[in-house]
Amino acid sequence: MPVAVATSDTDADLIERVAGGDRDAFAELYRRFARPVLGMAMRQLGDNGRAEDAAQETFAAVWRSARSFRSDRGTGSAWLYAVARHAIIDRARQRREPVAEVVPDEPSAEAGPQDEAELSWLAWRVHAALEQLPERERVVLELAYWSGLSQSEIASYLDVPLGTVKTRTRTGLARLAPLLEEVRP
Amino acid sequence: MNDLPDFRDLVGDDLAPEELGRLEHVDALLRAVPPPPAEVPASLTRSVGRITAVTPLWTRRRLAGALALAASLAALFFGVGAWTTGGGGLEARAAVPLQATESAAGASGLVRLGPRDEATGNWELEVVVSGLPKLPKGGYYVLWLAKNGKYAGTCGTFNVGAGTTRVRMSASYLLSEYDEWVVTAWLPGRDNSNAPWLLRASTEA
Repeated sequence: MPVAVATSDTDADLIERVAGGDRDAFAELYRRFARPVLGMAMRQLGDNGRAEDAAQETFAAVWRSARSFRSDRGTGSAWLYAVARHAIIDRARQRREPVAEVVPDEPSAEAGPQDEAELSWLAWRVHAALEQLPERERVVLELAYWSGLSQSEIASYLDVPLGTVKTRTRTGLARLAPLLEEVRP
Repeated sequence: MNDLPDFRDLVGDDLAPEELGRLEHVDALLRAVPPPPAEVPASLTRSVGRITAVTPLWTRRRLAGALALAASLAALFFGVGAWTTGGGGLEARAAVPLQATESAAGASGLVRLGPRDEATGNWELEVVVSGLPKLPKGGYYVLWLAKNGKYAGTCGTFNVGAGTTRVRMSASYLLSEYDEWVVTAWLPGRDNSNAPWLLRASTEA
């Protein structure tokens, strides 16, 4: 999909342009949010095919409903998150398996729906912020935090000097800081 | 993860306390969340790319009408009266089992036909295969349509992983003009013009 928008455009700017039928703005929204939406759907639906469908429905709904977005009521990402959440819930309802009722003897130690929702929201925000980094910094951070590789191993894997990995790590974290300032773990 | 590097190892020791605090906040968030998906599947990007080709002014009623028409046409073309559901993302209107040839004994496949893209006239479809081997680097499988035993049009290419592979594609509107669905392999550095057919099915199945 072609992208002809400034990366400095806010999510709200892009949604408002999508409301006017701007395909480039839609492509940029997709670039920013495809992975976070897909990740959220995969965690909640547990199935790649259904997650992909939910992600597709999310962006279809964004294209159809962008005119309903009101920037004075919240951020663009919060609106898009709500659209995604509805699409995922719809997809989950479409094939809900009957579950045998079992009453546990003790309260479960697993996260409840509220905790799940908060983690989902948190992951969404973090992943969406990552998408706004230059790829070379994003890749280094993803390897550092989720691959189990050491900094030296990342340098070897990417075939760059160790100093470059350290610089990209620090620069990437610094770039994320203002994007995640308001987010609390 | 337990083997996450120490924060100081990541950022060094020469940052001002205020900057250190900002980065520590980001570090805590990154440690708190699961990893994002490795990549966005090309099938999702393709399907989302088609969204903007459809006018956003469509009402639910018109959309429902279009889907009903698509379903009728699918049933007409394939002689399938029942709607096909389950097994994956696409809401299939028909499913055509692919038969393995002698060149791919043990493989199996299915072409699931979804709704028609009103903007382009193409049918959305999903090819589901299992039992095909991973190809050497640079190689790929091709799903295509044949007429009179000869190549007549490509639906798309794909690679396989372990287990079952599902790939979304699209096919020409006038499926009734073709005879068979065919899957072959394209291998780098080879003359693939007479590649053996691996999976096949009549479009009238």
